[in-house]
Amino acid sequence: MSELTPLELEVGHLIVDTLNLEDVSAADIEADAPLFREGLGLDSIDALELALAISRHYGFQLRSDDENNARIFSSLRALAAHIAGHRVK
Amino acid sequence: MRDEALLPLTSHGEQEIIAWHGGRAVTTAEFLAQAAALAAALPGAGQAVNLCEDRYLFLLAFTALLMRGQANLLPPNRAPRVVEEVVAAYPGSYCLVDRPHGALAVQQFTVAVPAGQGEGAPIRAIPEDQLAAIIFTSGSTGAPRPHHKYWGELVRGMERGRERFVLHALQGGTLVATVPPQHMYGLEFTILFPLLNGLTLHGGRPFYPEDLRRALADVPGPRVLVTTPVHLRACVAAGLAWPPVALILCATAPLSAAAAAEAEAAFGCPVQEIYGCTETGAIATRRTVAGPRWQPYGGVRLHCNDGVCRAEADFLRGAVPLNDVIELHADGFVLLGRDSDMVNIAGKRASLGDLTHRLLDIPGVEDAALIVQDEGNERGGRLCAVVVAPQLTEQAILDALRPGLDAVFMPRPLYRVARLPRNESGKLPRAELLALLEQLRRGDGVQ
Repeated sequence: MSELTPLELEVGHLIVDTLNLEDVSAADIEADAPLFREGLGLDSIDALELALAISRHYGFQLRSDDENNARIFSSLRALAAHIAGHRVK
Repeated sequence: MRDEALLPLTSHGEQEIIAWHGGRAVTTAEFLAQAAALAAALPGAGQAVNLCEDRYLFLLAFTALLMRGQANLLPPNRAPRVVEEVVAAYPGSYCLVDRPHGALAVQQFTVAVPAGQGEGAPIRAIPEDQLAAIIFTSGSTGAPRPHHKYWGELVRGMERGRERFVLHALQGGTLVATVPPQHMYGLEFTILFPLLNGLTLHGGRPFYPEDLRRALADVPGPRVLVTTPVHLRACVAAGLAWPPVALILCATAPLSAAAAAEAEAAFGCPVQEIYGCTETGAIATRRTVAGPRWQPYGGVRLHCNDGVCRAEADFLRGAVPLNDVIELHADGFVLLGRDSDMVNIAGKRASLGDLTHRLLDIPGVEDAALIVQDEGNERGGRLCAVVVAPQLTEQAILDALRPGLDAVFMPRPLYRVARLPRNESGKLPRAELLALLEQLRRGDGVQ
């Protein structure tokens, strides 16, 4: 069963819509599974597209120079938590 | 015996700043001393894979290997199986990394900025016949194909680039790049270009638009940005306030004239596209907004016969066949198409034959086909796989494929089917495959 919070579900929809993951539904994403490589199997170009979608929806820019990038994208839960802490809209 | 001709390692003067690393200026004298100290510490071998991601550490490792007479091995991607294949093909070789990779079953040497100096004066020149790098492309039969790059040819190619971009006007400027240095474009334009043309290297590798904006803002101008269509588009779309940039170089995939115009407006400078391949390095450029014709570098001669085009130049050994079909005109050339086995996704080139082989090599996979979808978008499409493997799940197939593949080539989606629509001669007509995909996408349940 899905145990996603409303924000996690919203971010899940953003991922599925932005990246056209036609064989994935947002509610089926496991909150703690990795988004890259295993799990959803996203790549670095997907990260760029996702960063753009996140800046449009939540009004802040992602950065990788703080070494947190791997953690931010480690799971849907981590990404949603990062968004919750940085969003300005 | 003839005298061995030596060519300088760098055109920078001793006290000039050669790089910015971690917010600190590094002079050429410091850099050469660090490279010499690293060279002295390296294991003995004929070659080593240079996997460093930090651009300054890559430059240090590259130079230390040159000083030691070891060739830089540059694999087509970082997938562990691919790196292991390259190491296995050169017995005794090892990997230079900026942090240890647990998944990599080869000898690793972690590169850090050396604290002390090597003994004696650092080497400042390299024999022109020395093998500097072996760059690999994915071959159609499975094994990565090596391309040998000698120091003299790399240096002469850079001289042609310097002429083309009128670089004396940018002396003292800084080069910032988003592309990795482990392929020919990255090596030429983010390592050799600053090393041999008097530009200072930004030692990091900014990824997100905001990273790049900060990197550009942190360095003195004139600024040169080396990037790809994917990154350029992301930066333009981010709508940030960019510091002044003097020149943008773009390559690895075609850039549309519309995207180039938007980038010129956002950054306030010309966007020059580079044409070349691993075999030749850069051989032509165009300002994308000015039209589709490419202008060859000075001294480059192109010939086409029976659909095969070749390039000759003073920085190439012999006539090199190109992967593209081109049409020659008095004022440049246009690209007509490319060898159909080669795909270019997110700026990375691979052979469909090789990728299909990797699928077929998985125990339990009986038949498989790959097709590129949405080729028109900036990333250059996405691979989709149709596989016959009655005993395996989709996830099991993807898990088996992952260690041997760059992430951009991972098929999405991957469908399992009972059989592929092969014709009597065993061929797989593209139209049939597309029809099958359409059916699968609608969920008609072929399996």
